[in-house]
Amino acid sequence: MPNVSRRSTFKLAAGLAAAAALPQSVWAQAARTRLRMTWWGGTDRAKRTQAALDAYTKINAGTQIDVETIGWGDYWTRLATQVAGGNAPDVIQMDYRYIYEYARRKALRPLDEFMPSPINIADFGQANIDTGKVDGQVFGVSMGVNSNSLFYDKTTFERLKIAPPDHATTWAQFAEKAIAITKAASKRGYFGTMDAGSAEPALEVWVRQRGRQLYDNDGKIAFTRDDIAEWFDYWDKLRRAGGAVAGDLQALYRNTPETDMLTTGRAAITFAHSNQLVAWQAVNQNKLAMTMFPQTQGGKAGQYYKPSMLLSISATTPQPQEAARIINFISTHPDAGAALGVERGVPPSKSMRDRLLAQVDELGKAQIEYISLIASRVGTLPPPPPKGAGEIEQNLRRVAETISVGNAKVPQAADQFMADAKRALERA
Amino acid sequence: MTTVALPQTRSEPAPRRRRLNAQDGAAYLFLAPWLLGFFVLTLGPTVASLYLSFTNFDLLQAPRWAGLDNYWHMFAEDKRFRNALSVTFWYVLLAVPLELLFALAIALVLDKGLRGLTFYRALFYIPSLLGGSVAIAVLWRQIFGYDGLVNEGLSVFGIDGPSWISNPQYSLYTLVLLRVWQFGSPMVIFLAGLRQIPQELYEAAAIDGAGPIAKFFRITLPLLAPVIFFNLVLQTINSFKAFTPAFIVSGGSGGPIDSTLFYTLYLYQEAFAYFRMGYASALAWVLLSIIAIFTAASFLSSKYWVYYGDEGR
Repeated sequence: MPNVSRRSTFKLAAGLAAAAALPQSVWAQAARTRLRMTWWGGTDRAKRTQAALDAYTKINAGTQIDVETIGWGDYWTRLATQVAGGNAPDVIQMDYRYIYEYARRKALRPLDEFMPSPINIADFGQANIDTGKVDGQVFGVSMGVNSNSLFYDKTTFERLKIAPPDHATTWAQFAEKAIAITKAASKRGYFGTMDAGSAEPALEVWVRQRGRQLYDNDGKIAFTRDDIAEWFDYWDKLRRAGGAVAGDLQALYRNTPETDMLTTGRAAITFAHSNQLVAWQAVNQNKLAMTMFPQTQGGKAGQYYKPSMLLSISATTPQPQEAARIINFISTHPDAGAALGVERGVPPSKSMRDRLLAQVDELGKAQIEYISLIASRVGTLPPPPPKGAGEIEQNLRRVAETISVGNAKVPQAADQFMADAKRALERA
Repeated sequence: MTTVALPQTRSEPAPRRRRLNAQDGAAYLFLAPWLLGFFVLTLGPTVASLYLSFTNFDLLQAPRWAGLDNYWHMFAEDKRFRNALSVTFWYVLLAVPLELLFALAIALVLDKGLRGLTFYRALFYIPSLLGGSVAIAVLWRQIFGYDGLVNEGLSVFGIDGPSWISNPQYSLYTLVLLRVWQFGSPMVIFLAGLRQIPQELYEAAAIDGAGPIAKFFRITLPLLAPVIFFNLVLQTINSFKAFTPAFIVSGGSGGPIDSTLFYTLYLYQEAFAYFRMGYASALAWVLLSIIAIFTAASFLSSKYWVYYGDEGR
């Protein structure tokens, strides 16, 4: 560049500096009432949440809420990176699996000082408030109650004239039904049920019915090798009998409604969570219905109520009061309730729930009724999973696949799973 | 002949030292964005990751010094690391030669002066533009799925094919195939190389009575060696770093049963699924060393088989 003088260079630099400096004052003014909120989920959830937040900013005109939303898989990566970089959003959607970790590492702010004002959730009932407690302090406000749930293809069951499973169906009866469907449907690549041998929630219900749990209060494995061996054996037998989806098809499941065995037309039954009925029905043409996971004869209660999601406040937010007001609005205000529906589970607030029952569609009603139906059949909330539990969940899938597509023997697979789990907890 | 973009050291007179003048200042000013990016976004994190590889770091808590623990665990205990290495080596070993052979074969055909050469060249080049993309990996899933195109074709012959991408016996080969399908970029480079081989050599050989096979092995191949070498180095490095295909096709799991667990995918899982940033950094440095060794080996071996026209041997 022959003709660039020092003066023009200086001018350019000055211009750039001025341009950078100008909007700063604008930002500073707006920053007083500007917050960021983040959650995981699909487009339906995004629309509903945005509508609820719009209702808030309509009433509180001085506040602007910037939203960040992303799928479950990338959410925790992103959040951990933001927290590490000192750039955490003010209002954070939390999961029961992670809230202990974040609270104990002082990434979240205790909410007790904001209760009962502005966060007034007395009508949640103590149990629903306690689900957000870590070491005696409230760190999260439950956004919805859910539980495990079987979804089944009602249309197919009716067509094949087979009675669908219900809340009293045992694992043995469940297997018979699954095999009967495969036979009656008699279609290439179509089976009675998904292979839930790799699904951690199903395993958890199975071990709880046997009086154990996945993890104890110290974060140690609280089930035995025989539990897991019998679990693998149950699914191995069911698969070999043709009742459960073949291994190389089940391996195509990617933890999304779109890749689920029910959606892709591979099975008539899938294992899911009650609040997901909305998302599953949205991608299924046949009519879906829901019931409880199978029971163990003479066993204990396997399922429990859990908070589907929680709302927390970042420890570093400069505007905790405003963040708390937003949380209160989302949890208790009628406008927010109408916008959110039961997409995140049944609202823990009784007044909200009662109002919703009059507003929601058939799917919403089914979900609310399901949650009250199982009231007498659920057990207590288990301790939160320890660090490393996420890796064990992945290990379960991998080991289950060594049986279903790799033809490994069940006893060896059970040994392998226990050894891997122990190591994962040690290294977490 | 002139060679194609090959790293050759050329001795140039050392530039005389000058004082920094206004022009230099402007030059550095305009370089600043790149320099800033290089130091802050490339060099900085690289150095930081070397430090982190000797620590335990989970993003939420400050890194804790762990000495050689990460490297010890990797080489002595970690079975998934060994599996990831073997999957990646198999992938590179199969994909790179196949891709280069295919690229060379197509380039030779196109070089024969086909009608509509530009059209075919573009057509064959398109996959390598698309190949690394998410959309193609998704398409691959459909083609090699249970109800995919491949099984539709097989069913015509009464064969009931498996779900190729989710069967551990075949899943890696579908990814190799995806790689081979992206032969366009080495092909274009081969084509350019072929065009630079002097026609007189072929004419002279024809007069001496050489057939097409002799011409290929005695003229084309030796004169193309620098281009083959260039493609080999580039494709080897790229294959070691392959991530997107396995990530999309297996849904991030490397499954079924880790049969498509590429090294980079394992690294990603350790870092972003299990938050072991320290261990992941150690994995990254080991991968860098492996690639460096392979590249160095290629360069060392090259003097035995790569002939540069201007060496005047």
